Amino acid sequence: MIRLENVTKIYGTETVAVRDASFDIPKSQFVFLVGPSGSGKSTLLRLINRQEQPERGDVWVAGRNINEMPASRVPHLRRSMGNVFQDYKLLLNKTVFENVAFALEVIGKPRHVISRQVPIVLDLVGLADKQDRFPNQLSGGEQQRVSIARAFVNRPLILLADEPTGNLDPTTSEGIMGLLDEINQTGTTVVMATHDHRVVNAMRRRVIQLDRGVIVRDQERGVYE
Amino acid sequence: MFSRIAYALRETWESFRRNLTLTAAAVLTSAVSLLLVGSTFLIQRAFENLLVQWRGDVEMIIFVRSDASAEQIALVDQVLRASPTIIDVDKLRYLNKTESYEEAKRIFAGDPVTLGLLTPETIPTQFKVVPLSDDPTLVRSLSDQYRTLPGVEAVALAEDEFEVISTLSNFIRVVTLITSLVLLLVAVGLIWNTIRTAMFARRREIEVMKLVGATNWFIRIPFMLEGLLQGLIGGVVSCGGLWVLNSAWTSGVTSFKPGTGISSLVVPDSYLTSVMFILLAIGAVVGAVGSAIAATRFLDV
Repeated sequence: MIRLENVTKIYGTETVAVRDASFDIPKSQFVFLVGPSGSGKSTLLRLINRQEQPERGDVWVAGRNINEMPASRVPHLRRSMGNVFQDYKLLLNKTVFENVAFALEVIGKPRHVISRQVPIVLDLVGLADKQDRFPNQLSGGEQQRVSIARAFVNRPLILLADEPTGNLDPTTSEGIMGLLDEINQTGTTVVMATHDHRVVNAMRRRVIQLDRGVIVRDQERGVYE
Repeated sequence: MFSRIAYALRETWESFRRNLTLTAAAVLTSAVSLLLVGSTFLIQRAFENLLVQWRGDVEMIIFVRSDASAEQIALVDQVLRASPTIIDVDKLRYLNKTESYEEAKRIFAGDPVTLGLLTPETIPTQFKVVPLSDDPTLVRSLSDQYRTLPGVEAVALAEDEFEVISTLSNFIRVVTLITSLVLLLVAVGLIWNTIRTAMFARRREIEVMKLVGATNWFIRIPFMLEGLLQGLIGGVVSCGGLWVLNSAWTSGVTSFKPGTGISSLVVPDSYLTSVMFILLAIGAVVGAVGSAIAATRFLDV
């Protein structure tokens, strides 16, 4: 589903964010990218959804080399991925329902699809009764659930999560991880960047560890070291 | 499809409201610059009316009495053609009564009294003559010679009037054109700035839109519509201003004594209307260009 071949990403002239990274993530896998801040986890995610382009190497998603893809195709590529962030990136002037609906609205989905899909996915994340609240009226965990609902409402092939539990307490994090696991069970490939030892150790999934932009470990059913 | 159009219009309107002060500034600037562009058109047209008899490098007009016989007219024509070294025979033009009357209608559009005195029967016909020589004394002696021909009512020389008016009109045209171009650029800049501000205010939304796979055009169109709307509203305001200006001008000019020629400075309403359409079009273009630059430039969030 996702394949990196000797990818190097340099910011500016000498800051090497990722050096010669290669891995292959099959469909439906759950992968943790771990490592300290600045080790290149977020850059890897940004390379996968083509917010960044590598200086060297190729990134393949669903069988296509996305670096050779014309810019006009990028929106379509992104429709096959959901994104979840540490800071949720919710629109504060929109309700929970509107935030999720927004993701469908801006890719031109008709109204009847929106009014059918949004309640289903809000039910999945356990916020069916809070769809008319605004983000500020929700707890951090609830806000992250909204953002997961928004990422998943279009049924993407891939879910990219950048420190989704970074702002949450352990109990809430557990709930979020359960949700991501559930989404993974539907066949969605999940790539999650984190430095949260607890969640990595509890899940026992594939772990790719980075140190200063270099992959130092790639282990099935791994733990955080 | 319908939901997309509805979305674009709703977003345009929202953004328009949110940025009212900046929007007002952009609209006003485009209105003022468009008003100047419009004035340039009208001034140009007014002077053209004044100069129309001397157009096409005509430097001499031989007016033939309306009661001149066909032989007399033929004789004048013959004399003129007899000196091909002094007169550009190819450009020699004879306006018969109908043609002369048509031209008079335009020249005296703002002077109904004089126009009323003329009928297609009583109007003098005219030869428009382009001398080949640049020598004013030669041209002048030539005109004295033609004046004595039978049937000729008068010979008018262009150089005297023409010089003054055309210099003046060129000067005014250049100054207003440059000023309006500069102001149009300012208008583009202001619209660019409002759109940029609008986009900055909504950068979070744009970021989310890009991440969920909205196309650039989808994101761009509401902003471009907003700029277009600003330019168009500027155009509408400038049309109103131009109408007021032209009304004042017309009533001022027509209050001059009839027959002084000043009244030919009146611009016909049909021309005013076409200028207004041009202003609306330029306004729309200015708005679209300003916002398109902003939208393209700042879409890479």
